[in-house]
Amino acid sequence: MRKILIANRGEIAVRIIRACRDLQIATVAVYSDCDRAARHVRMADEAVAIGGNPPSDSYLRIDRIVDAANATGAHGVHPGYGFLAENEEFAAACRDAGLTFIGPRPEAIALMGSKTAARAAAMAAGVDVVPGTETPLTADAGEDEIARIADRIGYPVMVKAVAGGGGKGMRVVGSRDELSGAVRAARSEAGAAFGDSAIYLERRLSRPRHIEVQVLADHHGTVLPFVERECSIQRRHQKVVEESPSAIVSVDLRTRLTAAAASVAASVGYTNAGTMEFLLDAAGRFYFLEMNTRLQVEHPVTEMVTGVDLVEWQIRIARGEPLTIDPAQSLTPRGHAIECRVYAEDPDSGFLPSPGRITDVRPPSGPGIRDDSGVEAGDEVPVYYDALISKLVAWGSSRQQAVSRMRRAVAEYDVRGIRTTVPFFRWLLDQPVFRDAAFDTEFLDTLLQQRRGKSFSEPESSLREVALIAAALHASRATASRPRGLAESAWTQQAKREILQ
Amino acid sequence: MTFEIEQDGTRRRVTVRQAGDAWVVEIDGREVEVSVVERAGRWSMLVGPVDGPAKAGQDNPDVVSGFSRTSSYEVAFEPGAGGELIVHVNGVAVPVTIDQPGLSKPWAKAARQRRGRGAGDGATGDAPRTIVAPMPGRIVKVLVKPDEVVAARQPLVVVEAMKMENELRAPRAGIVAEVRVAEGASVEANTVLVVLR
Repeated sequence: MRKILIANRGEIAVRIIRACRDLQIATVAVYSDCDRAARHVRMADEAVAIGGNPPSDSYLRIDRIVDAANATGAHGVHPGYGFLAENEEFAAACRDAGLTFIGPRPEAIALMGSKTAARAAAMAAGVDVVPGTETPLTADAGEDEIARIADRIGYPVMVKAVAGGGGKGMRVVGSRDELSGAVRAARSEAGAAFGDSAIYLERRLSRPRHIEVQVLADHHGTVLPFVERECSIQRRHQKVVEESPSAIVSVDLRTRLTAAAASVAASVGYTNAGTMEFLLDAAGRFYFLEMNTRLQVEHPVTEMVTGVDLVEWQIRIARGEPLTIDPAQSLTPRGHAIECRVYAEDPDSGFLPSPGRITDVRPPSGPGIRDDSGVEAGDEVPVYYDALISKLVAWGSSRQQAVSRMRRAVAEYDVRGIRTTVPFFRWLLDQPVFRDAAFDTEFLDTLLQQRRGKSFSEPESSLREVALIAAALHASRATASRPRGLAESAWTQQAKREILQ
Repeated sequence: MTFEIEQDGTRRRVTVRQAGDAWVVEIDGREVEVSVVERAGRWSMLVGPVDGPAKAGQDNPDVVSGFSRTSSYEVAFEPGAGGELIVHVNGVAVPVTIDQPGLSKPWAKAARQRRGRGAGDGATGDAPRTIVAPMPGRIVKVLVKPDEVVAARQPLVVVEAMKMENELRAPRAGIVAEVRVAEGASVEANTVLVVLR
């Protein structure tokens, strides 16, 4: 494989280009109209336009992406995450066009993409699943039947979309009289989002942790699990901070968790990179939740504590190499890693997206810091795609050191022109619940609810005074003849023009 | 040169005069000495006492502790919404609005008129009457009906954009005059969704 097309954009496209460079593989970027000069396009060796701004007209166009691969003579296609990463038709279209899809076989994507089929596979492999329905409840399923199943599972019960993901088509039901309304709402949401209104029911565990296990599997029968990732820090079912290892997983629990993940992967003949998600209850019991048949956003924390380049291995597996990583390396964490997902969102306006031009950005660096970013100063965050602009990762020899380094890094991180979640992380890292790692999947929503209406960007009083001083000097420069030593920049002139508009 | 600078609802008088290569800045009668060097759009700013540490520290304890010795800050500027100037001090954004008394500054006046963002609970005043879609998206939920009384910051509409569901909140307290969108509708940026009165 000497040339790879990356069917994605943003930070993950940049990450994959870097892995290709490390392997001396040429890269092809694809782009929509508004991404013509995006970072991933500037970095790649070649670039091909694939259509208009809405994803359905570009990054989701299987035909155009396959054409672009053929036209550029690419041998492989890496889908990244999101967009077409878990689309079995895309994987099949690549295979049919003689391209190597860097991911699992289309059959494995299809099987594990159905939540109920994935649950069945886990049970067949001897792994517990959250108690619930084993077959999809299609539109034919009657209300009485669903109510009987819910009674058997016990309330509170979760209603979930079979084709679901990202919290869509998901409802929590506290009692029988809420059930039919929740089923209707979940069905219509799932139908709109995934084109499939089938649902299933699952017991709602009380304040569980979300723990997941990364696996790599080659084409020679080797399945290798990795140290777990802790992904309990979620806002409205979206992960915002991930860690590895989990502060509460013992060596014994790790052995059982990773063995369970490996046996599910092996039982379905899985290949390439994938992740098994589990819920862990307060008693230390774990239940298989679902499988993601792709590279995860949070893969860097695993890389930091194991020293394994997961993207590089995805490519090596896809070109037929056997896995030669020692399980002792993949299962023994070296230190601790934390990732903060930096989004172009305004935490002070209920995390509203904040697209626009990044006028300046200074990413943090120094010991233990890695910034997987998709943007630079001057880049535009378009309104059409996910607002993730960078993943900030801190490594330390202990969790405490990793947290200290992350605090230093988010204090250094300076992004101007758009709002980002950086001020939110400055707050979160100081919360006792975070410091003590005493969280579950609901703690952040609860905490945010409690501080509703309060700003994350509250400057301390000395900084306020400095701001006044700076503002006065800035204004004196703007009104008086240019004071000595303070030449008015083009930027200032631009700022004044914008203010006047 | 004297400015009135508003920050988080408080107006302060700030006077600036040049003193050799440095500046003397006076806030509410207290003076500090400031040195500024610009590097690629960022200022390195050193703030300290005018006549050495001895004179520092009469009234405000914050200022005493902050400026009794020379402290180093990194500062950058960007225009904010509604004519504000956003001053980034050591990476923390502090929005301010600047007035120079006696000088007619159309941008300062416009800024005052447009202000209202983050003006606190129950704010009425100049805050806008219409809630518009900040970007193209799909209406997931309409949470209010015409004639409903809403509080400032109360969620009005849930819009899905950039793969996320976002609550649009009332910029001020009021009564819903009109709801112009239905659930499931696709909207362009700046489409009026709800009108308050």
